[in-house]
Amino acid sequence: MFRFHRVQFLFIIILLIFSFILFDIFSLQVTDYSSVEEQIQNQTFQEYYIPAPRGEIYDSKNTKLVSTSLEQYLFINLKKINEENLGTYKQLIKFNFIELSNEDIENIFNSKEALEPIYSLTNINFSIQKQLLEYDALEVFEIPSREYLYSNVFSHSIGYVGIPNAEEENEYQNARGNKLVGKNGLEKFYENTLAGVPGKVIFKGDQIIDYIDPIPGQDLTVTLDIELQEIVIESLIEGLDLANKNFESESNIERGAVVVLNIETGEVEAMVSLPDFDPNQFVEGISQFDYSRLDRKQAFNNFAIQGLYPPGSVFKVVAYWLAISENIFPVDANSKDDSIDCTGNLSFGFNDGSKQVYRDWKLEGHGAVDLRESLKQSCNVYFWDIALKIWRQFGNTDGESLLQEYSKELGFSKLTNVDLPYEKIGIVPDRQLFEEWKITRPELVREEGWLGGDLMNLIIGQGAITTTPLQVANAYRTLIVGQNSSPYLNLNATRVVNNNINISNEFSEFLLNDLGSVTNTGGTAFKAFSIMGDEVNDIGGKTGTAQNAGDKNNTSWFVGIDSISEPKYVIATVVDEGGSGSAVAAPISRRVIQFLKGLELTPVEFGEITE
Amino acid sequence: MINRRITLIGPEGTNLYIVFQFILFNVISWFTLYTSIESLEFTLSNLLFRQIIFSTIGIGIFFLTTYISINQVAELSFFFILVSIILLFGLLLTEPIVGVNRWYSLEAIGLPVYLQVSEFSKIFVIAYLARILSGYENKTIGFSLILINIILIFLQPDLGTSFLFVSVVLCMLFLTEIKFKQIFLISLCLIILFFIFLEFNLLGQYQIDRITNFFTSEDFSQQQSRLSISSGGLTGTFNQEIEDLNVFVPVQSTDFIFSLFAKNFGLVGTVVLFSLWLFFIFRVLLIIQQSDVIYEKFLLSGVILMLSIQILINLTTVLGIIPLTGIPFPLLSLGGSSVISSSILFGLINRSFIENNIVI
Repeated sequence: MFRFHRVQFLFIIILLIFSFILFDIFSLQVTDYSSVEEQIQNQTFQEYYIPAPRGEIYDSKNTKLVSTSLEQYLFINLKKINEENLGTYKQLIKFNFIELSNEDIENIFNSKEALEPIYSLTNINFSIQKQLLEYDALEVFEIPSREYLYSNVFSHSIGYVGIPNAEEENEYQNARGNKLVGKNGLEKFYENTLAGVPGKVIFKGDQIIDYIDPIPGQDLTVTLDIELQEIVIESLIEGLDLANKNFESESNIERGAVVVLNIETGEVEAMVSLPDFDPNQFVEGISQFDYSRLDRKQAFNNFAIQGLYPPGSVFKVVAYWLAISENIFPVDANSKDDSIDCTGNLSFGFNDGSKQVYRDWKLEGHGAVDLRESLKQSCNVYFWDIALKIWRQFGNTDGESLLQEYSKELGFSKLTNVDLPYEKIGIVPDRQLFEEWKITRPELVREEGWLGGDLMNLIIGQGAITTTPLQVANAYRTLIVGQNSSPYLNLNATRVVNNNINISNEFSEFLLNDLGSVTNTGGTAFKAFSIMGDEVNDIGGKTGTAQNAGDKNNTSWFVGIDSISEPKYVIATVVDEGGSGSAVAAPISRRVIQFLKGLELTPVEFGEITE
Repeated sequence: MINRRITLIGPEGTNLYIVFQFILFNVISWFTLYTSIESLEFTLSNLLFRQIIFSTIGIGIFFLTTYISINQVAELSFFFILVSIILLFGLLLTEPIVGVNRWYSLEAIGLPVYLQVSEFSKIFVIAYLARILSGYENKTIGFSLILINIILIFLQPDLGTSFLFVSVVLCMLFLTEIKFKQIFLISLCLIILFFIFLEFNLLGQYQIDRITNFFTSEDFSQQQSRLSISSGGLTGTFNQEIEDLNVFVPVQSTDFIFSLFAKNFGLVGTVVLFSLWLFFIFRVLLIIQQSDVIYEKFLLSGVILMLSIQILINLTTVLGIIPLTGIPFPLLSLGGSSVISSSILFGLINRSFIENNIVI
């Protein structure tokens, strides 16, 4: 039989137990709440991060460029500091570390962290270390320190590290624990590779109960070459000194950049930007004074990828390529070998009957010039003629941006996608841009907007166009190999192809030969290269002198090719306010080419002033 | 038997209150687990999604169970107890997992799930015992089968679950005309049996440790779980950003889930949860009183006793009042076997509500 009253009896007991349990929970959560609160706080695990050693950086020949070394550091466990022992510890630190000022010591004890580093133990003798560690609140952990072994040499390409801001802490998950993050250059671009996972000190109450070792970051091997880089810097500095001696510039000529690019692979073998700085200053924290001083000199700009300069005549290769591909030559010429007569100026009429005269840099004219001669002597008239032809044929139609399209194929006004942060893209102006500027920057454009004259300016690399030295170097490289792929500095970077271009096999041969003529007799860079004797036959390049607005001196350009028969390197050199390209930039490049070819180095000497 | 039409909330006549209560308990479990997970990434190792999957299967099984009539349960109960004994015996032949033969691993068929047979054995034992008590079976054979079942669980070894079984069986016996004296005698016999096992070293060392630990010093997880409950305060930390109040409780998402619940929802949440359960028990007791079918009375008493005693053992464990047992909180603890066996128990209750024509 089933007895229901026994069920009731059982459940009354169950209800009683429930009430007892509820009473227990009530006392836990309400009556005893405050008394256990402290116990809970002590229970709570707290973590303190110990920075992980950052990956080291090696050059292409395995020379260590950036090192990370571990240093024994004394820490204080601030959770164990109370009013009673505060004085003792202060005395102890003051006595043993005379390098620390009273203010430093106050800062240590005012920290909100659980652990606070006091000082390196490197120079403390062992018995004192042992004595110190007998104090309950003192601990030792290893802290990595980063050293840029060649200080200024790679300040822009490798970059530097610093204390992460809130944004960086969000973007890079280990930045907060490492208390360090790549701020610029490869240090920033490869932050996730270089940064390790920070170690953890785990506290329960004031006790350290666990320590998890940091995981070091991965090393990086770069395409740069320390020897080459140092030669390039030397040459650029010599060139700057030379320019300062020869020009009466209002401001000191001190800015310039050089990029040495491996033509076949796209490896950046040297990248120099001046003025530079010592990235080691950032490791220990740079003073406000030093920072402002360097910042005023624009030392933090990597002009190789951030300097925006009108390219001047080095841009003429774009028109050179266009002329051959589209078969567009000056009015009296039907092929690249047909000559026109350059009289030193070009005058042409407009529909409204007005006439305009453009004057070449060589007032007496270059005489009879074909495509090769016009590149060799950097004759503007020849290229203006091409621009006029494009304008007359396509002006005000969809096809009028032919030259701009060719420029973009070569990477102008586009990212080269080099593995460095903050790359700038520059400008290749066209009608559309001028229309936009009418609204946003009316001081830069005329009311009529884009005109034939603007195209004529563009074809010789003047006017609104701006480019970076790396873009220029990569554009030449693109014309030689037929493919626009991104340059890179990490030897193991994934190679990015930006776009393929359409060139014939003969084209690069023509181009190289014609570039070769520039450094030979009669070419604009002959004087700068003549010291090399017969070697010069195999070398090529293109000079450029770009006018700047206002009182600014011209920008000096040279793009060099180390060998016409077996081109291996392209060297782009720019000296801001350096004047004529053939006078300043060309001899700098010459010295770099001498090194690349394993020849005797001769000093940078002032070349011929052309353009 | 009446053929019932299928509706959106199960067969025609499904009790809304039971369905609502059942789903509510599941959702409370999700909310509790939600606070313990680090990301909302949908993976099988994510505790919350794991439990949601189990719950979904559980809800399906709850409705399926509703299609089985109480009569059929009674008829099949002998078969059930045999299956239970075979499965439990089979367990002893498997490779031990973390030192005990408690689970069948379903990894061989590609599921990252461990099947805990004793969870299902609960239902079978109740169904069969109700059958014996309502006088249909040979009592000697019947009680021997149940004893074998419990001993097999004891041998896994699973002291907590065996203790749960013994308590439920004794309570169900108590509902018959049995005398207090007899119950007392049976209990005495079982205690002697327990010591015999102890003497012959049939208990795992860690279980003896648990018991001796309990009487000599406080257990770490129980100590921690009390602190965790305490940190909930009156209203809980669910909506507060208090990172500092993070007490570490081992296996908090399964057996110790109540400590997490109490921390999140505080005393208020605890009172609400208790009220829900007490009201549920009260409703089931009313059915037991109303029903004319003896088997149904025993079955439902068994089911509700199983659920309540499980909760009591779990809570007293979490509060450190009794030694560690490893009994989950029904429908709150994380665990597939537990959720599904609780779903079957709720399904049986729903069925008897239907058969007694109680709709709301």
